[in-house]
Amino acid sequence: MTPPTTTTTRTRPEVVTRGVPAARPAWAERVASADHKVTGLLFLGTAFTFLALAATEFFLMRLQLIVPENSMIEPQIFNRLLSAGTVTFVVLFALPAAIGLMSYLLPLQIGARSTALPRLGQLSYWLYAFGALVIYASFLYAVPETGSVALPPLSELAFSPSNGADAWIAGTALALGGFVCFAVNMLATVAKMRAPGLAWKRVPLFTWAGTVINVVLLVIGPVMIAALAMLMVDRHFDGIFFEAGEGGAPLLYQHLAYLFLTGCYAIVVLFAGGVVSEVLPTFARKPIFSHRAATLSFVAIAALGLLAWMQNMYAAPLNEGWTIAAMLFALALTIPVGALLYNWIATLWGGALRLRAAAWYAIAAISTMACGLAGELAYSVIPVGWALDNTTASQGDTIYVLVGGGVFGGFAALHYWYPKLSARLLGEGVGKGALLAMFIGIHLYVIPMFFAGLEGQPVDVFKYYEGTGVAGYNLIASIGAFILVGGILVQLGNAAYSWNNGNPARGHDPWGAPTLEWFATSPPPPHNFDVVPDVRSAEPLYDIRDAIRRRSNDFTGPEPLERVEPAPSAAAEGAGDTPPPQQDAPAPPAPEGSAPEPAQSEAPLEASEVEAQPEAPGQETPQTPEADDGGAGGEDEPGTPR
Amino acid sequence: MARRSQNLVLGIIVSSLALLLGVAPAYANGFGLEEAHSPNAETISTAYWVMIVITVLLIVVVNVALIAALVRFREKRGREVARFSAGRGAFRPVVGISAALALAVFVFGIVMTNDARQIEETGPEGLTDTATAQVGVKGLPPVSLLEGQESATGDEPITGEEPSESAPLQIDAIAQQWLWRFEYPGGQPGQRTFSYGELVVPVDTTVVLNITSTDVLHSWWVPALGGQVQATPGSTVQTWFKADEVGRYEGRSTVFSGSAYPAMRVWVRVVTPEEYLDYVEQRKADLTEAQNAVQDVSAEELSE
Repeated sequence: MTPPTTTTTRTRPEVVTRGVPAARPAWAERVASADHKVTGLLFLGTAFTFLALAATEFFLMRLQLIVPENSMIEPQIFNRLLSAGTVTFVVLFALPAAIGLMSYLLPLQIGARSTALPRLGQLSYWLYAFGALVIYASFLYAVPETGSVALPPLSELAFSPSNGADAWIAGTALALGGFVCFAVNMLATVAKMRAPGLAWKRVPLFTWAGTVINVVLLVIGPVMIAALAMLMVDRHFDGIFFEAGEGGAPLLYQHLAYLFLTGCYAIVVLFAGGVVSEVLPTFARKPIFSHRAATLSFVAIAALGLLAWMQNMYAAPLNEGWTIAAMLFALALTIPVGALLYNWIATLWGGALRLRAAAWYAIAAISTMACGLAGELAYSVIPVGWALDNTTASQGDTIYVLVGGGVFGGFAALHYWYPKLSARLLGEGVGKGALLAMFIGIHLYVIPMFFAGLEGQPVDVFKYYEGTGVAGYNLIASIGAFILVGGILVQLGNAAYSWNNGNPARGHDPWGAPTLEWFATSPPPPHNFDVVPDVRSAEPLYDIRDAIRRRSNDFTGPEPLERVEPAPSAAAEGAGDTPPPQQDAPAPPAPEGSAPEPAQSEAPLEASEVEAQPEAPGQETPQTPEADDGGAGGEDEPGTPR
Repeated sequence: MARRSQNLVLGIIVSSLALLLGVAPAYANGFGLEEAHSPNAETISTAYWVMIVITVLLIVVVNVALIAALVRFREKRGREVARFSAGRGAFRPVVGISAALALAVFVFGIVMTNDARQIEETGPEGLTDTATAQVGVKGLPPVSLLEGQESATGDEPITGEEPSESAPLQIDAIAQQWLWRFEYPGGQPGQRTFSYGELVVPVDTTVVLNITSTDVLHSWWVPALGGQVQATPGSTVQTWFKADEVGRYEGRSTVFSGSAYPAMRVWVRVVTPEEYLDYVEQRKADLTEAQNAVQDVSAEELSE
């Protein structure tokens, strides 16, 4: 193997912007900054912390249900875990995780230097953070015990006199208020601040999904805030919104809350859809099979999903016509979901998939969500819903989608964009191992719970009785849940550890991705881009690399034109990419210097993925002004003050 | 790398299959719903079987395609990337197939829903209206079934049309935290025969339940006798069943209702019509006796 030379700047040309040093201490910068990237990181950090909390609560609930008529956890405590668990997973983890990534990436993906309303974006995080604080502060005095969605009349003052319910209502409403602020900011940004040439047909699919998610947030956020406000009025100001027999109706809250929950479900699917649609093309080295079909699928999933909220209410006293309409919308979802799955598989077809951890997580997300969404087709049929709604069978199905989308999709995104966030790689070996555990765990949990649901086990119970034929299923499911939770916690630890200790990513664009966020340094400077590029296609970074390569061909400088292999831009021409030379070697020769920690098993593999000759990080400085540092910027602070 | 990932894929497939195979036969009932003992439960069971087959097929198709793409198109030395994208009409087959599937399932769903809602007449073995009339226990004519917000008040003389032979037995089921109360037809309003926790009904007889709640949301669900119905305070919904076999069936609520929610269970004891009539008579006598005893006690207290 030839030693690294300066030609690497030629083989991996990149244009990067240089960072501006921070003026304030880091913590003050984080608190005071209205930068969308800072907000995004705060959102992500808080959200994944709450994922650990939700997983722990889930673990405790499954511990209680491991044997029939268990008395380990008191019913009251169990109901508190139940009330806190759902809101923690959905409102404090799944939505803010999606929001954090959108906050960080959407402006970068569209080539914007900031968001349209930065202070509103900052406000959105602090509303969310204080909402979470209000919910969890209630653990100090009175804990909510109103169940996962606080359905009235149970959540009315007469049945839940505890202040904990008020904390639950107020905290959830605060967080949702933050999400609405976020959606306004993001929609304004995406509508008005796209780089020149970035028409909607060229907008990256994660941004597309994010835009649809923000529209959904604008619909469901105010609806749920209104429902919670009405509930608060009922509880403390003699309201009768949900009081049966006094002109109100408990059914009204069900409509509003289920519209909200259906929207959350759609958001999780769209979020995972956006992530997978970025990860697969990058790692398969192929553009998405059809950009247009993917965007249409996103829009259709959001619209039909929202319209189908009554699919959760087949047992409620509704007019027959409404339930049939709900069934129609829910079944019509088959079309966009089918098109999206087809789109992804067709993207993989004919490609050369690099099976990095991000790709594995994306594949796991597709597989798991497909199981859940296919099951949803069955539960949409009214008589099947009558039999299995609110049983552990349909709950397991929802968990397939929410965990498949939120957790697997979330970790796929984290693996993929981690180098952009931190200039380091999220530990690959640990990530793959944790994924295997999670994948086994979720099936080991959901499949037995499906059979328990067929035996009639309802959701949310703190115990089940002996002789009901579900004891064995619950035992297996609890073991599966423990494996799942273990995998999640290990992967979260991995993410926290890698932030400062991960392997440095090779350059600012370690994956050879097509979208604009990889045009900035890792991490990007506060203003994102020194030069806002002109966008000429849906894969702007390929164009940029291509242009640079051609320019450097014309350049007849003093160095010899030792062009080892075509640069990744060759892929943009359809010329066929060159696979890594060491791919199938039994022991890939570790290129010197590129693997600073050879003890990590994935380090040689990373090096083997490199298209061209890797170089030692930090060894070389840029040679030519137009082809800036390709691989060296990984570990040192990007750039010097200008 | 290639071998490792292949092993990983293989491991995942094998472990998933082993799980499926290991869990499925663990219980005899396996993939089926609880055994149906009422026509509407049978309809639900049919719908379930059709849909579970479709669902499993879809899951298998998607995952096999995914695994095939994964195995065939991994990165390899010398692999040429075919950078194609969708041409015109590339999505026509998949959209066509999924639209056809959705439409077929939709039509199937409507048929099944109507079938399950269709109230069947009382069978020959069941409690006929003539029999109920003899002991003064009557149901309402089926005219009031669908609009029937008012509950069954079998004591009132039925005006207008003659009571038909097949008039179903109307029973009020009232949910509360954490117990069901059942009010049987016959008797003065407020003094009707009732029972708690266990509903006793005659076999082969159409029973219409008027379901409501007095406090929070609950749900009526006896899997052998039909689907779930939400018990909502302030509104009354109807469901029905016609048990085909004598026995005792268990049911439970599926809506979270507070601290003792798992205890919100219910039992339906299906007996012969004669036993049912005896039961109601016995209940009535017991209740009258108890009320008289209470009245005696209070009268004594008053007189003292």
